[in-house]
Amino acid sequence: MGTVLLLSFYISGRGLGASGAVKNTLAATVNVIAPEHVAKSAYFSQFAGGDNQPMSNWLIFEVLGVLAGAFLSGIIFNRLKLKVEHSPKITSRRRLFFALLGGLIFGFGSQLARGCTSGAALSGMAVLSLGGYITMIAIFGTAFVTAWIFRKNWI
Amino acid sequence: MKEELFVSGRNIPNIDPYLNIWHWQIPSYLFLGGLAAGILFFAAIFTILGKENKMATAVKIAPMIVPFALILGLFFLFLDLKHKLYFWQLYTTIRLESPMGWGSWVLMIMTPISIIWSASYVREIFPNWDWKFKFLKDFEAWVIKNRILIAWPMAIYAVILGIYTGILLSAFNARPLWNTSILGPLFLVSGMSTGAAVVLLLSKDHKERKIMGRIDILLILIELFFIIHLFMGFKAGSEASINAANLFLGGSFTAPFFAFVVLLGLIFPAILEILELKGYKVPVIVPAALILIGGLIFRFLIVEAGQITKYLY
Repeated sequence: MGTVLLLSFYISGRGLGASGAVKNTLAATVNVIAPEHVAKSAYFSQFAGGDNQPMSNWLIFEVLGVLAGAFLSGIIFNRLKLKVEHSPKITSRRRLFFALLGGLIFGFGSQLARGCTSGAALSGMAVLSLGGYITMIAIFGTAFVTAWIFRKNWI
Repeated sequence: MKEELFVSGRNIPNIDPYLNIWHWQIPSYLFLGGLAAGILFFAAIFTILGKENKMATAVKIAPMIVPFALILGLFFLFLDLKHKLYFWQLYTTIRLESPMGWGSWVLMIMTPISIIWSASYVREIFPNWDWKFKFLKDFEAWVIKNRILIAWPMAIYAVILGIYTGILLSAFNARPLWNTSILGPLFLVSGMSTGAAVVLLLSKDHKERKIMGRIDILLILIELFFIIHLFMGFKAGSEASINAANLFLGGSFTAPFFAFVVLLGLIFPAILEILELKGYKVPVIVPAALILIGGLIFRFLIVEAGQITKYLY
């Protein structure tokens, strides 16, 4: 992870990110369907509309590279198949539902915190930003608590 | 009055300083034309080599897409015309110096050939099909007997069609990005590679896929060589050519060109195809779809960027 982060700063001049790519894609999509909404919204107008080019962004290309790299690694190590990994005690549907729910909440939270584990915590800590450390503690602290509350889904 | 605006400004809307006349119709048509040329070329070549049963998808099934692709592409061109009802005037003259004239006549020959070629295989693929009329049955029998005779002009015209999709752009001598003779071979090879991708996508025969995969890797390598050559040529050229190349080497087209065309559209699918030849399990839809999408984006970028490049200040 550290090497990847270092390379990311070296190649692009920016850190890593994941939620940013999703956010920019969303903003670009909304801008195509409802440009007046983007212009009015204080949140979306930061990323799309006007002179902003949300899809011409390092994070978009980085995430495409992550997909390509993961696919390649899956082929080389013969792990490429469609499956849902879950505890034997729960169904695939329950696993997918909780994954989606967790993803939605985490995505929302990452926008409140102005970045996710990669964008705010890892990249932030790499440049010794206090916000990065706080984000890391908050994400892992909350994760410990919620993992215990929802442990029946796992064990 | 502000006279200085008259003497110092150039402003012909949509033409100067920037061309803004070709939109999605042209690159989509160039993509479909190249794809059709690639598929028909492989169908003709494998027929001439006597491999129509070994390479059944390339010869019999994939060409069935071509008439639809050509007709759709020609419809896109028709949409692009300003005076739509005058399109037939392209066929009132033969002008060897006009790329559009070449294109019209090549398509006038290729479209019927592709329809006849596909039709002659319909009964083999769909055994319940009945041509109903005797003259159609007689004509089908004649075509089946003379396939090699048809394959030769089909192979030659497929090459002309593939090159023409690039020449159409390079004949624009006022746009430095297009005004290079390497665009013809580059578009030909790219079209052949997309044609090979379609065969890969449709074929269920492992041996055929292996042969097409090998051909495709070779085509991708040639295409990469041409792309490098294209930019080397620009870099060694005039200031206008250097500016045109810089759009892709640091300018606003750099990221989409290298990410979607060079990396995801050529190098990554080539790696996947090499891995497949080495025996790894690769879902064939992924490299094939990436090559097709990369080919389409390539044409969009070249058409879009070419209209921006210019000779004067």
